[in-house]
Amino acid sequence: MLDLLQSASDGVLYGATYALIGIGFTLVFGVMHKINMAYGAASVGGAYLGLMVLKLGAGLPVPLVFFGSFLAGGLLGWMVYLACFHFIPLSSPLATLMSTVGMLLLIDEVIVHTTDGMPQNYPALFDDVMLRFGEFTLRGDLLLVFLVSVACMAGLLALLYRTRLGLATRAVSQQAIAAQLCGIRLAQVNVTTFVITGLLGGIAGAMIGAAVGTLSPLLTTPLTVKGLIVTVIGGLGSVPGAIVAGLLVGGFENVIQLYRGVTERDLYVMLLLFAFLVFRPGGLFAPAGGRN
Amino acid sequence: MALLELQGVSRHFGGVRAIDGLDLEVREGEILGLIGPNGSGKSTAVNVITGLYPPSAGRIAFDGRDITAAATHRRLSEGIARTFQNIRLFGGLTVWQNLWVAQNSARDRAARGFLSRWMGGQSGAREGIGKLLAFAGLAGREDELASNLAFGEQRRLEFARALAAKPKLLLLDEPAAGMNAGEIADLDERIRAVRERGVTVLLIEHHMELVMAVTDRVAVLNFGQKIAEGTPAQIQAHSAVRKAYLGGDH
Repeated sequence: MLDLLQSASDGVLYGATYALIGIGFTLVFGVMHKINMAYGAASVGGAYLGLMVLKLGAGLPVPLVFFGSFLAGGLLGWMVYLACFHFIPLSSPLATLMSTVGMLLLIDEVIVHTTDGMPQNYPALFDDVMLRFGEFTLRGDLLLVFLVSVACMAGLLALLYRTRLGLATRAVSQQAIAAQLCGIRLAQVNVTTFVITGLLGGIAGAMIGAAVGTLSPLLTTPLTVKGLIVTVIGGLGSVPGAIVAGLLVGGFENVIQLYRGVTERDLYVMLLLFAFLVFRPGGLFAPAGGRN
Repeated sequence: MALLELQGVSRHFGGVRAIDGLDLEVREGEILGLIGPNGSGKSTAVNVITGLYPPSAGRIAFDGRDITAAATHRRLSEGIARTFQNIRLFGGLTVWQNLWVAQNSARDRAARGFLSRWMGGQSGAREGIGKLLAFAGLAGREDELASNLAFGEQRRLEFARALAAKPKLLLLDEPAAGMNAGEIADLDERIRAVRERGVTVLLIEHHMELVMAVTDRVAVLNFGQKIAEGTPAQIQAHSAVRKAYLGGDH
């Protein structure tokens, strides 16, 4: 019982990074009705670029590496928008899907070539801290991963629900044509959405690096798949759904890992996705109406 | 003086000429009715005026300026607002927010700081929105989600949203569709009240009683071309119009 609780809580803490990735997929889908397949790779890429801060000077504090990953993620988000969306006709549903798949492969290749495919150490904070409650423990580094992710989500929700930019974003996602006729510039909302999701992705990549201890190109594909699973389980276009689903998938997979081992873990995650697709295809939080 | 002027405007979809060499003039301060049988190009005309479709040919001038190529989101700040035949509200936003979006975006053109434009709160908007709510008969409903409103209320909210940006020209695309007689009488009053405030109105409508009662002039489209123009009385007596609507010789 304690084992179960322990692995569930560790999983939920790590699942906060899945939630961030899910939010990135879901926000872009909400605003543009497009899937950005490059998002997981760009997030890992942002974390890699953040590592360059360490290369600049070994004595630099770790939060600066995280911050570097955050900014690099935003930059990559903007570049993905330019390369895969800005010049490509949005009316064709497949065009941007393929351009972002291409970008996913490109980012992957760039990472492999610049690091010779070798995993890179990523710094963590509080990895020597262990909070003990009797037999139950909380890892300090995982707790930090969780808290940073939650802080980013809170920031995003405040942006979406408390600012005019957020209002414009929600207006576009609900009724793009009317939004333009209300004076909202679609292209501006689109590019802002990519930069903001990119920033979140950079932080997600950094937190994954901090929790795992290394970055490797092998992270991108599983992260893309997990992000999409979280998006579907949460409900396409729903930010709160992505948050809940991210934590749920994180906890679920870690519990499965405890009982069935790491090799069977993703199989059960897929089964969870399958169950949702069959019994609740709209996801946990199907977005409220208003989309015509 | 012409507030809006279309000169030889065409819009083709493949081989279909939805509007074909349309000349139309909306004079400042008037209520112009735009009528025509189904498929005559009325909605296409509105979509071209508001920039949703670029015209295939021709020129559009508004308030003395050429807006033929202006982006859709800029037309509002130029002073053109519209409602939609199939209501397009922000269903997941509240009544108040629906109005706030339109009111604020119009002001974005003014050189305001990046931060206030993106991060600004709701202060300073209350008074104007309060008046709009009263005008639309939605006072006290401001926190309701737009998607939860009844059909007639949604139409009134969309009308108010179009006014939120203080337009010079209001395009109403079949505002009476699906309304009962009482609601149409309300609509008639609202259209007149808007004109009293100095807003020019282009009314696209099937409901002839409303058009004949409320408009100063009427233009008639058929097969994408203007076949008649005049006062409501002239139009009612016009043979080409009767032929377009009823077919044959009348």
